[in-house]
Amino acid sequence: MTGARRSISRPLALGSAALLLTLVACDAGSEAARATEGDRRPSGTDAAPGYRGVALQPGPRPDFALSNVDGKAFSFRQETEGQLALLFFGYTNCPDICPVHMAGIAAVLRELPWETRDRIEVVFVSTDPERDTPERMREWLSGFDPGFIGLRGDMETVNRIQSALALPLAVRGAVPPDGEEGGGYEVGHAAQVLVFGAGDLRLAYPFGTRQADWKHDLPLLVSELEASHRR
Amino acid sequence: MQWWCAARGSAWTWSWQAYPGVWLFILAIGLAYWRLYGRGRPLRARHAGAHEEEVPTGGGVPPRGWPGWFLAGLLCLWLALDWPLGALGAGYLASVHMLQFVLITLIAPPLILLGVPAGRPELRAGSRSLLRLVTHPLIALVTFNLIIIFTHLPSVVDGLMATQLGSFLIDLVWLVGGVIFWWPIILDSPARPGFGHPMKIGYLILATIVNTGTFLYLTFSELPVYSIYELAPPVYGIPARDDQRVAGLLMKVGTAAVLWTAIGILFYLWYREENDEPTSTSHA
Repeated sequence: MTGARRSISRPLALGSAALLLTLVACDAGSEAARATEGDRRPSGTDAAPGYRGVALQPGPRPDFALSNVDGKAFSFRQETEGQLALLFFGYTNCPDICPVHMAGIAAVLRELPWETRDRIEVVFVSTDPERDTPERMREWLSGFDPGFIGLRGDMETVNRIQSALALPLAVRGAVPPDGEEGGGYEVGHAAQVLVFGAGDLRLAYPFGTRQADWKHDLPLLVSELEASHRR
Repeated sequence: MQWWCAARGSAWTWSWQAYPGVWLFILAIGLAYWRLYGRGRPLRARHAGAHEEEVPTGGGVPPRGWPGWFLAGLLCLWLALDWPLGALGAGYLASVHMLQFVLITLIAPPLILLGVPAGRPELRAGSRSLLRLVTHPLIALVTFNLIIIFTHLPSVVDGLMATQLGSFLIDLVWLVGGVIFWWPIILDSPARPGFGHPMKIGYLILATIVNTGTFLYLTFSELPVYSIYELAPPVYGIPARDDQRVAGLLMKVGTAAVLWTAIGILFYLWYREENDEPTSTSHA
């Protein structure tokens, strides 16, 4: 038995070492590939003082009007005046970024006191109006929070708004030949949620923002908004 | 193509994915078992190992050393590591990650060890001393629980599950931890005459208690603790916090189910032993 054990222990050890080296080499490649995804995550170094969001150039709220899911005109600046406004551009067939953002925000809002929750508006602007019908948007947003506001318009208008906000424009991807689930194509779009708070305060929350970050920032932002109104 | 299941960042689909590293790993364990305990020996003779009295006399539960135990353990391990459980657990759902944990640490190792013939493994003096130390019940219990705590720390899970090598390391540590934990319960080499059925029962009861901290942390945390699952593309819209609660419950309930089943078997064997009834099988 001892002889047999000796005879297999060396090849086993060598084989294991070779396998481990191969695995490390393969993993280095996948690590590099993941780095681009990691770049989208928030960094503590450029966070706004006191907040976990990233500070943007201060400025007034954008003034645009689009149709809500009831087909009525919704003027962003007027309708969100006096409120903390969270603005996101995405599409309901999005497989990753949009549902993660919406689910995270909705989960935190459910835990906030109603008087804080009442001061927050979440506005979702579709970058895929062709598939995002009013019914589809209402159903999809209600799955997260019935209070979320869905807006749509033609792509030219939506891109003009994004351009004014210095956001990358939405890009429709090619339809894959095998017609994958989710409607056939993806839409490239900005991954950050923009927040408009007291005065000219503008913050961005990139993909990778966690519920803990929202839970930390939202009550602070609402408090500051209320304080500014009292002044 | 990935060689081991790790977080992908893309939306979950039920399209089958190949993980050759998992196949090689399973194959390596199977080959090692065959080389050590199976080669050139008829199946029935393999049961006997060093104790001919453990060969079943007909019917009943198969004995220690039965290759079927080992194959069942290996199958269980394969199920936990390969697609779809491996992929879902690595990058999408904490609850599936926890199911993997239960399979890899609590179900596969005892089955694999039951496939080792009685009186085995035979080791050289140096290895035997090390094994005696590592599989000392106190050290095994502490090691296992340290592994549970360490491999469920958010920084460890988020740091390691993002890469294939990290994910492989977690799976490997779980398997090794599970083998160490079950060793003093199932294997009689090295012999521990003082560690009889009552002590084994106490050992397992202790093990049901000590994972409570991790269970409480996962189940009652107000926020998702693992970014890898919180920021993963959602699967069927399952909220991250609900998924995490299920993971915590699965850890507690799954662990308790396995350990209390084992405790029940040990009680039965103890009872049989106390009543001096001859038994044709030895499972613990």
